[in-house]
Amino acid sequence: MLPMLMLMPVLQLVLFGYVVGSDVKNLQLAVLDYDHTVQSERVVEAFTSSGYFTLAARPTNEAGVKNLLDGGTAVIAIEIPKGLSDSIRARRPAQIGIVVDGSDSRTSQVAAGYAQGIIASLSSQFYALPSAKPGKTAPVGVDAQIRVLYNPTMRAVNTMVPALLAFVLLMSTTNVMSQAIVKERERGTLEQLFVTPIGRSDYLLGKLVPYIGIAVIQVIVTFAVGVLWFRVPFRGSFWVLGIGLMLFLFACLGIGMIISLMSSTRQQAQQTSLFLQMPQMMLSGFMFPIAAFPPWLYFFTFLIPLRYMLVIVRSNFLKGSGFVALWPQFLALAVFSLALFFFGLSRFQKRLAD
Amino acid sequence: MRRILAIARKEFIHIMRDKRMLGVILIMPLLQLFLYAYALSFDIKHLPTAALDLDHTEQSRQYISALQQSNYFTVNRVLNNYGQVDGIFESNQDQVVVVVGSGFGRDTTAGRAGAVQVLVDGSDANSAQLGQTYSGALSRVYGAKIAIAQYEAKGASVSNVGALTGNTRVWYNPEGKSASYFVPGLIVVLVTMVTVLQTANTLVKEKEMGTYEQLIVSPIKRIELMVGKIAPWALIGAVEILVISLIGIIIFGIPFRGSALLLAVASLLYVTCTLALGLIISARATSVEAANQLGSLVSFLPTFMLSGYIFPLSSLPWVLQFLSYLYPARYFMVVTRTVFLKGGGLSVLWPQLAALAGFAVLMTTFAAFLYRERA
Repeated sequence: MLPMLMLMPVLQLVLFGYVVGSDVKNLQLAVLDYDHTVQSERVVEAFTSSGYFTLAARPTNEAGVKNLLDGGTAVIAIEIPKGLSDSIRARRPAQIGIVVDGSDSRTSQVAAGYAQGIIASLSSQFYALPSAKPGKTAPVGVDAQIRVLYNPTMRAVNTMVPALLAFVLLMSTTNVMSQAIVKERERGTLEQLFVTPIGRSDYLLGKLVPYIGIAVIQVIVTFAVGVLWFRVPFRGSFWVLGIGLMLFLFACLGIGMIISLMSSTRQQAQQTSLFLQMPQMMLSGFMFPIAAFPPWLYFFTFLIPLRYMLVIVRSNFLKGSGFVALWPQFLALAVFSLALFFFGLSRFQKRLAD
Repeated sequence: MRRILAIARKEFIHIMRDKRMLGVILIMPLLQLFLYAYALSFDIKHLPTAALDLDHTEQSRQYISALQQSNYFTVNRVLNNYGQVDGIFESNQDQVVVVVGSGFGRDTTAGRAGAVQVLVDGSDANSAQLGQTYSGALSRVYGAKIAIAQYEAKGASVSNVGALTGNTRVWYNPEGKSASYFVPGLIVVLVTMVTVLQTANTLVKEKEMGTYEQLIVSPIKRIELMVGKIAPWALIGAVEILVISLIGIIIFGIPFRGSALLLAVASLLYVTCTLALGLIISARATSVEAANQLGSLVSFLPTFMLSGYIFPLSSLPWVLQFLSYLYPARYFMVVTRTVFLKGGGLSVLWPQLAALAGFAVLMTTFAAFLYRERA
């Protein structure tokens, strides 16, 4: 059991870090080239050398494109029209067709965006206006310099690994704790304990401390792997992180106690944990951006403690945000933690008392 | 045969008695279906934006209002100086800051490019990526409009201005409904969870309760025990697939363009795989907790992560891609998505079906072997 407890967070880290943290790249591209000129080859090369696309196939007609997309061999296709190089030479506008597999709207949106970006820069190369300085082209319109702060490469790992610290805490504490408590109830060893000189509060404390210890170890392991292996930058303070995680831990312990109160068998406890975990995974901002939620769901997310924890942990890691910047999240988290923990504790004591 | 039915009936009674499990089996899928159809997506509109106008000309104001009018940015704050930017990001008040350089108006009227700086908060990689794409697109469009005006001002005829543009067509899901993408995947994930977890538990529970010995001394053969135990779950799995599909199609309007027969065959093969997996775990696990942990380890997490459910497989490091080939879920995912959204048939999907059949045979043989051996 213990090795599995230590293995679980590392496994989750690997899975979440590499899978969820994977950035959209190496998208399979199909090229339908009707032009077959030097310029059309330049177009293809611009796409394949961008790092975003890998050339999967070169179909010869539209039916070929359809087959590739249907079968999932390609997720995006570009169609280079016949006469492209003529148009460029005559400075007439030309159009490249982009077809994306829309079934994954996120990937297709990003893919289309990349494609448009590549085409735009090709456009300014092909159609460069002669300017006063020979050999140089003058930019026109709007020259937008886009800078991504704190995470310039936009590695999704940098967002996921800090979030995992909180998630690991949640999963292991609620799961393991509720299972263990319910196991004793199932086995009937609970009564045996009470005929011993151990008092109710000693029992509770004794029960909680190991899980706090395990949680702390898991967090440290996750942190170490995240920073050392995944090279996630840590720009914040251990104080902020530590206090935030501690508050969240108490919230999780409270939830674990409540689950154990509601379940009479371990299977029930497992199912209840799972039932509560799924919405937390999906609605807290862990995987899906809260900003994309419709208003009614958006308000619901305020009830999820994990939501605040994620903001704290991500902001502290990448932006170095402190207590001052994060006070709303800390306040909300503190309120939830204390409420959940003491509610769980009081109900637990009451149950033990009879 | 009679013995198999007896065991199956006993299992059904167990299931019906466990109201909570019923709740999980029935409510969770519906809840997720609902969320995916109506709420969950990656399409962020209205990125909270702050604007810093260092130019204060009519042109700069026009640019900022163009930002506001596109649905992608919501300018909810106006900053006064550069020093405020860090604070805004640190406290998560906005995700994008658009700085219009001083000289924007002067440059654009003179026919030069106007300088704009877009700062995006990278700590949320998803929004950052979209923010980058949107602002790039917006500036191109806006820039093209200004460029045309500039050319006309220079006396160049607009028809002489060429450009290469991309014309984007979105296939299969033109409205970009995330539901159409997630729901076929949801079928895979939910069925996996239910079948693997429950069958993993079922025999271990009997072992722990001590009723296992009673079953062994009865005239029932191991194989019959195995079949009888998993039959109800096969049925439940099939019913769930059917219900989710119907709800998805009828209530949420997800298209179904392929062959129902193909889906049925693939579902049958896949459920066989997951049930076999559950039995294998059940045979090897020593306690209920171990069964639970192992079950969720090999069923829930990998199916969620490595089947291409939410995160595209093409972006994975090759080690994990290789691993994903070992999971039947990956193939079933392709089948469901293709049948629902793309309408591909046997000619396109035969590799997946072959893989599923192969896995089904392999896993059931292994499970049967494990059970026969326990004399």
